[in-house]
Amino acid sequence: MKAIEDFTLVGKTILRREDAYLMRGKAQFLDDLPEPKGLIHIAFVLSPYARADILSVDASAAKALPGVIDVLTGRDFAGDIKLFAPVIEIGGYRPVGRPVVAVDRVNFVGEYVAVILAESPYVAQDALDLVDVSYDPLPSVAGIRDAMKPDAPVLHDHLGDNLIFRTAFETEGFADRFAEGDVVLEEEFRLGRVTGVMIEPRGCMACPDPIATNLTLWTPTQIPHIVRTAIADHLDISESVLRVVTPAVGGGFGTKAHVYPDELIVVALARRYGRAVKWVQDRREELLTNAHAREHILKIRIAAKTDGEIRAVHLDVKTNCGAYPNHPYSPTLEATAAVRMMPGPYRIRNYKYDVCSVTTNTAPTGAYRGTGQPSAFLAIEGMMDRIGRRLGLDPADVRRRNVIRPEEFPYVNVVGVRYDTGSYSQSLERGLEMIGYDAFRAAQPKDRLVDGKYRGIGICNYTEVSGTGAPGWRVRGFAKMPGFDSSRVVVEPDGKVTVYISQADAGQGHYTTFAQLAADRLGVDWADVTVVEGDTSKTPYGTGTFASRGSVVGGGTVIRCSEKVGVKIRRLAGYMLNADPERLVLRDGRVFDPDDAARGLTLREVAETAYSMNNLGLPQGEEHGLEATDYYDPPMVTMANGTHVVQVAVDPQDGRIEIERYAVVHDCGRVINPKIVEGQVHGATVQGIGEALMEEIVYDAEGQHLNANLLDYLLPTAMDVPDLELSHIETPSIDTVGGIKGAAEGGLTGAVPALANAVCDALSGLGVNITRVPLRPSFVLEQIRNAQAAGEGRT
Amino acid sequence: MKPAAFDYHRPDSLEEACALLAEHGASARVLAGGQSLVPLMNMRILSPAVLIDINRCRELSYLRREDGVIACGALTRQGEAETSDLVAAHLPLMAAAMPHVGVRASRNFGTVCGSLAHADPLAELPSVAAALDARFVIASSRGRREVSAGDFFVSALTNCIEPDEMLAEVRLPVMPATARCAFLEIANRAHGFAVAGVAASIDLDRDGRCTRARLSAMGAGDTTARLAEVEALLEGQRLDDALIGEAGAAATAAAEPAEDVHASADYRAQVIGTLVRKALRQMLNPQGGRG
Amino acid sequence: MSATKVTVRLTVNGKDYVREVEPRYLLADFLRHELHLTGTHIGCEHGVCGACTVLINGKTGRSCLQFAAALDGAEITTVEGIAGDGPLHPVQEAFHEAHALQCGYCTPGFLMTTIEFLGQNPDPDRDEIRQALTNNMCRCTGYLNIIDAVEDAAKRLREGAREA
Repeated sequence: MKAIEDFTLVGKTILRREDAYLMRGKAQFLDDLPEPKGLIHIAFVLSPYARADILSVDASAAKALPGVIDVLTGRDFAGDIKLFAPVIEIGGYRPVGRPVVAVDRVNFVGEYVAVILAESPYVAQDALDLVDVSYDPLPSVAGIRDAMKPDAPVLHDHLGDNLIFRTAFETEGFADRFAEGDVVLEEEFRLGRVTGVMIEPRGCMACPDPIATNLTLWTPTQIPHIVRTAIADHLDISESVLRVVTPAVGGGFGTKAHVYPDELIVVALARRYGRAVKWVQDRREELLTNAHAREHILKIRIAAKTDGEIRAVHLDVKTNCGAYPNHPYSPTLEATAAVRMMPGPYRIRNYKYDVCSVTTNTAPTGAYRGTGQPSAFLAIEGMMDRIGRRLGLDPADVRRRNVIRPEEFPYVNVVGVRYDTGSYSQSLERGLEMIGYDAFRAAQPKDRLVDGKYRGIGICNYTEVSGTGAPGWRVRGFAKMPGFDSSRVVVEPDGKVTVYISQADAGQGHYTTFAQLAADRLGVDWADVTVVEGDTSKTPYGTGTFASRGSVVGGGTVIRCSEKVGVKIRRLAGYMLNADPERLVLRDGRVFDPDDAARGLTLREVAETAYSMNNLGLPQGEEHGLEATDYYDPPMVTMANGTHVVQVAVDPQDGRIEIERYAVVHDCGRVINPKIVEGQVHGATVQGIGEALMEEIVYDAEGQHLNANLLDYLLPTAMDVPDLELSHIETPSIDTVGGIKGAAEGGLTGAVPALANAVCDALSGLGVNITRVPLRPSFVLEQIRNAQAAGEGRT
Repeated sequence: MKPAAFDYHRPDSLEEACALLAEHGASARVLAGGQSLVPLMNMRILSPAVLIDINRCRELSYLRREDGVIACGALTRQGEAETSDLVAAHLPLMAAAMPHVGVRASRNFGTVCGSLAHADPLAELPSVAAALDARFVIASSRGRREVSAGDFFVSALTNCIEPDEMLAEVRLPVMPATARCAFLEIANRAHGFAVAGVAASIDLDRDGRCTRARLSAMGAGDTTARLAEVEALLEGQRLDDALIGEAGAAATAAAEPAEDVHASADYRAQVIGTLVRKALRQMLNPQGGRG
Repeated sequence: MSATKVTVRLTVNGKDYVREVEPRYLLADFLRHELHLTGTHIGCEHGVCGACTVLINGKTGRSCLQFAAALDGAEITTVEGIAGDGPLHPVQEAFHEAHALQCGYCTPGFLMTTIEFLGQNPDPDRDEIRQALTNNMCRCTGYLNIIDAVEDAAKRLREGAREA
């Protein structure tokens, strides 16, 4: 097998083939697709209440509107669609199913109450205004702590309370080990609720096949096969007749890696009416109902020795499930992620965690870039700084004391996760060097005040889970998460190559990067390789693109599959050339013996033999065709890593935070296309800046969503982004094919804690303790003023 | 989000527009740039039955100096004001504020009068108009009337225009050549909808005494208004550090801001005081102050 | 409330169209569903994200906030009109080489903004570029490569102008 070090295209920045048709406006996103004749447009009546009984739905005026085909309620779907529920098998989780359209009860603002079927989107909107729903509002609950109170409204009667998930873990002798600490530190961290806010809102379109009984669902999803299986399960139809296709997808970020009720609804309606059915959400619905994430409370207690060694950690995490478990992850995803990822790059051997997720009358939460890791590292990296402050040690030294050193790899962490390779300490050192850490600390005054602003540095040294295979999902309870991805590589009769992969691109450049891998392995021109993704009737089954798995699992299967095809190419060529297949190389579209290069064959010539397009027969026992299929289940997880070091200035007059310098060190193992990886790091880091400084979905205590528009949910603009100083380290994995690790999420995981730590450091002279995000100026100024008042009170 | 249906009229003249307003009254809205109106219509927060599109009323597109004011017609785009030599020369406070108003695409089509009529207490142009002693010319088929900024801005998103009227022109007194001004705003990110802001203009005599002070704050209350207490404190006085500090404190004390997802009321009150102090210092700086 | 249609004449990417539309029909929907120019995208319909940005009489405007009927006689340029079927425009080449797009959904809007901006400011510094780019939002790229692309596009256009 050709070693990846010998690949000539891997590690090369090849400009993307996707760009031209995207920039010409030719790419077709969901709402750009040609609309079939007789298309039905649907719109959803949304609940304005966080929790209420539905007394009646009067759609008579809506139905009478010209252009309205029908108005359906929850009961109209109960026969066709089972209660929507993910398949989760983990101790401590109790299943909850959800009607795709509410029947008797609504449990969050934005829940679907009725469905308008109309001839056009404008008419559908008109009809929405005419549906008269009568509700009996009920007491509701939005916050995690409120939902845990004994008198809290219980969303799902069969649970008896709101504790949909809880689990715990403890290493042997934990209490004794904890008692060995010289100091105990405790802190509670909180993250605000956020969501992906990709610029393309969701939508979907189900098209019945005009001839057969098949149906195609167009949906901008990151998980086409999982969507297909979920629909088949819930609608009792065969997967064979259902095709799920992704159009061009305008950003995913994990938010589009869920199965949503609307996908089930449009399929059911298309089957019922025999017509295509389409739905496109608007931005308000997007913010109200797409998977939210990250509303976490983390309480962490650490027993440390005076030299900064962390002897034991107790982490208690509470997450907000929202009204229903999302599909396919349920609330266990974020919850288990936060507690399992906390050890990070550190040698933490004594660990106890308690984690739970509670139902509340808010939108269901799920995956969003980083999933659990920004939370975990907000906690552990926040504590590194606090240990330093308590013990009079430099926070960088505290990290050095605990970080896993190069000679300790491979390392199995305290929850059983294997770190095969990593640059945890090199990355830390490089990040500190880039920012000029030592000089900054040496010059930093105790009160942190320089030129009228409080200035500080924050560090986040993190691991990033990537490429999770089946065992990695099972251990977290995801019983139906395949974990593998697959590919089928075909050399066509003309010698060109088609690569079918079970992945689903949402802007990551798959059409370029996977072509690079296949082209390299098969020795063909990159331009002669076509990548096909996001179509369940064309690609073999797989898991999809999320949780930083694309390059690891997708890349891995393409490499292996290309190799398998390469074996057959050499075998056929050996037969045709009467040469030893083992000696033959694939290069420049040819197959030849390197010692006799002139005597070779083009790939096309070999293919013609395989496809019986010449006079040569096939050798004994050989089949026609020139292709292979590969299923790759990667290791349980593959840990990438990185370090963010950021310098901020906080203005005590208005609480505003300015990022003065930002260094990112990033190690995702073998890099396929450097510019694409860099783009992922930029994008994730800026989302992290958004989450740390300005983004938050705000519910009031009763579950009213207060900012479902882009005026009130703030996203970073180009003026909020400093020039990032980026440095790559490449520490290949020894467990994955090609040594590739994931790249996509680290930016978020690094940014949120680094910024929080920087602000905390900047304000530490005042005694301000920053333990939450987002850090809006209003909040920061309040902290500063309170600390100043307290300081004055003391004098 | 698609807007509800409406009857569409496109008059060619102000007179025709007023006649339509007389006919339709409260069920009609005037469409100029649409940058404030159409989002509300798309979200169905507002669904006027009648839309009167004044974009063909060419007579309303002017920015000219007359009688000591800069007269700005209802169709003058924010972008035109942003690049206007007249505004730069005679209304430097407005020139300073313009880059903060929305974004390029909204300034290309949004009108100065449209932003004023929208009467958002967190918007730049209403505060600038208040600080410049603007007069608002309101037209109807019954004639014209002129009101002060104090009378024009009634409360958040509410002005004094009657259902059969429209804002035809705003008249901004030419700032004296000796006037100094400053515009400052603060948001939860580098560029975006302000959380608070201050539009300020002062005149100083030869002895450095403040002869005239005009200040208005964004976010100080639910209505665009002048900071009367601060102005009273400053007029006739020499601006030293102590007075500047007092002015900021007075602005904070007088503020009755709103609380929302972006900022607490207390924050807005604090920051308005800070911005007043910054604005005053900026205007005292011999280099700065002229826009 | 009547749904009486209105006649509108628009020149889009140099081609004239005459259509009957409901007054409330947004320009964005007109371009996308009436003319099948789907390169202009809808992201928010309240004027914030900029994905729908087109050139209207040479100036960037939010097509989600314009009624097609109200633009009778206007000249519109959409992303499809930048290069047509010909070679990519220098701005597009610059975006391509800088890896300034990932999912590409917001990109048409950025291209229109860049073309307007560089027409007004042919030699901007990075801070001016950042300010100009507040006209649009991107969630994938983190903006840095877009800033690079605009800087590079400015250079290409200046060099092209010198050669012309």
